[in-house]
Amino acid sequence: MEKKLSEMKYGEQGIVKSIKGDLRNKVAGMGIRVNKRIRMATKQPIKGPVVITVDESNISLGLGIAENITIEVEK
Amino acid sequence: MRILLMGHPNVGKSVVFNRITGANVTESNYPGTTVDYEKGYVRIGHEEMEVIDVPGTFSLEPKDKAEEVAVKMLERNKDSVVVCVIDSTKIERGLYLALEIIERGSRVVVALNMWDIAEDKNINIDVEKLRQILGVPVVPTIAVSGEGIKELVSRISGATSVKIESVMKNVGGN
Repeated sequence: MEKKLSEMKYGEQGIVKSIKGDLRNKVAGMGIRVNKRIRMATKQPIKGPVVITVDESNISLGLGIAENITIEVEK
Repeated sequence: MRILLMGHPNVGKSVVFNRITGANVTESNYPGTTVDYEKGYVRIGHEEMEVIDVPGTFSLEPKDKAEEVAVKMLERNKDSVVVCVIDSTKIERGLYLALEIIERGSRVVVALNMWDIAEDKNINIDVEKLRQILGVPVVPTIAVSGEGIKELVSRISGATSVKIESVMKNVGGN
């Protein structure tokens, strides 16, 4: 099932499906790219950032960024 | 000639720096920012080279002050050799930065640091293949124990710049 990264629930994991526009370059340095496996590590309440695990490191992303990344979530 | 040590934060750049330069270390403050970089010297053959420990950066698109310093240093020292230090256990992200630096036209030597930890984690890296694809020297290192540092230093003077197009060709991309 496809979801925005910002809508993923704690503990869910999946594969990056798409990244909007020039955001691709911005997140590439953090190891986030299409077809990369990620896992939701922590989600902060009240429009706070999301923390995801990529290659065993945790990366926090602002909600504005997370909304523009689509994930194919695994069941 | 100058040597710039670049790489992500926490990959062991400073340890590599101390290994290369020994105890002859001075610290200086980069104008306009609070970010420190370190400067030291190493003698390769008959040439005394200045080694600069650049603040860690994830990419060459700066997101904060420290990264701005890193990018500026690279731009101001176009003729220097960049030793790109990569955490072998997180090689993909590191290679992204290495490719960015290669793309800017700098001469690059890649140090695959924390080689021992990668081995412990059963991460196998085909160094020879990586060397062929990138066209630059690639040296596995364990900075904390000093392993590979001698070879790393010996590769610095022979480093040449590589066209990003040829890397793309070697990797079979477009």
